[in-house]
Amino acid sequence: MNAEDSSAGAPRTGQAPEDTPAIARVSNGRRIDLLRKIPQLKWLVSRRWFQFAVVLPNLLLFLLFLLAGAFGSPVGNRNIIVVFVWILWWFLLIGVMVPFASRIWCTVCPFPFFGEWLQRRALVAVRSTDPRQGKRNEGESGMLLGRNRYFGRNRRWPRVLSSIWLQNLGFLALCTFSALLLTRPLVSVVVLGSLILLATVLHLLYRHRAFCSYVCPVGGFLSLYAMTSMLEVRSADADVCAQCGDKGCLAGNEAGWGCAWGVYPSKLDRNNYCGLCMECVKTCPHDNMALNLRAFGTDTRLKGYDEAWKAFIMLALALAYSMIFLGPWGSLKDWVNVSESRNFEGFLVYTAVLWGGSLVVLPGIYALAVWLGRKLAGPHDASAKQVFLGFVYPLVPLGLVVWIAFSLPLLLVNGSYILMVISDPFGWGWDLFGTAQVAWTPILPQWVPYLQVALLLLGLAFALKTGWEQATGLFHQHGKALIAFAPVAVVLTMTVLCFFKLYAG
Amino acid sequence: MFSGKVGYQLKDALIVLAAVVACGAVGYLAAPEPPPPQERAITIRARQYAFEPEVLRVNRGDTLRLSFISEDVVHGFFLEGHDLDVKIFPLEPEFEVTRPSSPDSSERVREVVLTVEKEGKYRYRCSHTCGYMHPFMQGEMIVAPNRLLPASMGMGFGVLLGSLAVTARRRKSP
Repeated sequence: MNAEDSSAGAPRTGQAPEDTPAIARVSNGRRIDLLRKIPQLKWLVSRRWFQFAVVLPNLLLFLLFLLAGAFGSPVGNRNIIVVFVWILWWFLLIGVMVPFASRIWCTVCPFPFFGEWLQRRALVAVRSTDPRQGKRNEGESGMLLGRNRYFGRNRRWPRVLSSIWLQNLGFLALCTFSALLLTRPLVSVVVLGSLILLATVLHLLYRHRAFCSYVCPVGGFLSLYAMTSMLEVRSADADVCAQCGDKGCLAGNEAGWGCAWGVYPSKLDRNNYCGLCMECVKTCPHDNMALNLRAFGTDTRLKGYDEAWKAFIMLALALAYSMIFLGPWGSLKDWVNVSESRNFEGFLVYTAVLWGGSLVVLPGIYALAVWLGRKLAGPHDASAKQVFLGFVYPLVPLGLVVWIAFSLPLLLVNGSYILMVISDPFGWGWDLFGTAQVAWTPILPQWVPYLQVALLLLGLAFALKTGWEQATGLFHQHGKALIAFAPVAVVLTMTVLCFFKLYAG
Repeated sequence: MFSGKVGYQLKDALIVLAAVVACGAVGYLAAPEPPPPQERAITIRARQYAFEPEVLRVNRGDTLRLSFISEDVVHGFFLEGHDLDVKIFPLEPEFEVTRPSSPDSSERVREVVLTVEKEGKYRYRCSHTCGYMHPFMQGEMIVAPNRLLPASMGMGFGVLLGSLAVTARRRKSP
């Protein structure tokens, strides 16, 4: 198997060289290889049982959450599934894991557990065929992909769906019903349980992690925001990979499975589609894989419109949620809380505004600013697509910071519910650790607007810095770059001012 | 002290910071002074999942005579930064006032008097589980002059101007 053979993997999103901005093709800056700095970490991730050992506790916890959601209290803030998933997990994911550890969530995610188990018929071991035998299928069941043997249908994922558009639309659809998802334990059970079921079915039908790469609604925004992360898996020396005849990282070998995400680790230059499963660390015969610590926001290249629209969707959702869940407007809450308010007309208006805003209005305003910038800059070499994707990139670090600013009060204000549900996960009146009666105690709520403003200022500064850098790379001349990016810089600043109005005004 | 690339980046950061501070200060000082304090009688009505008024605009130094009524179920009124937590009973004019700083004592009253001494934006939140959307039931008390808003707007423009200045400076750099 080679890179082209791997159908379930990095989404193919307009990766033609001419569509790729010339800048930042190879990310720069200092790196610290944690695997070489910390030998114990290298030892740990090289164990065959590593991923199983980190997924299993998470899976058991997740099953407990599902049970609590199905049979526990219907009141969200009294049920562990809602409090842990939508308050604690969400903040840790967006505020800690993504910026500092990329897609580390995918390393421990329980969604693909059963599917991958059925696909590999192994939890820890590897099924491989020694290429020196020369006989590929003799005497063994399953299908050989590369040097690993898999079970199920192992079809290629349809090329037409090989992007993150499905994830974009799926996430937007789920978020349309966010008021139900965030507040009804049973709805959380149905959605999260369905995702596990879907992941299992897709693992049986399609090869590798098609679900994670193309369907998982969480994976979509993780892939985008992981670009900013301070952690990356890369090859330590590209020359070693170029001369490697084994290609175990992609094809698998007796030491491990070929990349389940279908990416060729040797050519990895973005975090988007690396799930940090660490199989490439195990399979590399030259000990050439590195787990690097790097500067924030090092990957700066969007590859296609699907990724750009993910950035728009995420920003629009953050704006909508800030109004609905952090704002004072009761009528908005009635609109989204349709199952209780029965205000179907309001819900339709909200849905239309959310979808229209995410998919048309916000991208339209942005496209207008990009068009204006190109016009003002005068003649240049960069194509419209190159400039658009390059100028959308600043929405990635800005969007992540906006989401952290949105999520911060959810944790600080409602964090004390965590103590309650630890002692009484089902809301049945238990008091396992003596914390069930802890009173609801917001932590420094009056400081939240100040923290939000500080975060947004940092996000804006970083977004503008990366924007000017993108512009310089695209237009080559500083004067042109300055003029070309100016309208987008104004749009970015106005966007942040809107959040200031919501959070501080 | 610093030279080369690090020194250059440090100067960039200082330019942006100076622009942020300057524009933030302009925004801060531009906020109009509030009128003289006055006494206001305000009835806050609570329902699933909103308060009426949704936004309470007052001035620093105002004395608020607050009364509460719930239109449906038991609600709470926790006012950030003001040591006030109220339990509101459905269709009852009396309510229970607790000071979070001394949570063991509470009293039932028909009115609570509050002098707002700190400017800014303070949210009031329902503090008694009242239904599915309870964690998101909140209103806002904005105490003028709320300098955080104009200051943050100014700082936002400062980031824009600062980054513009830094980019223009790079144009002249070797």
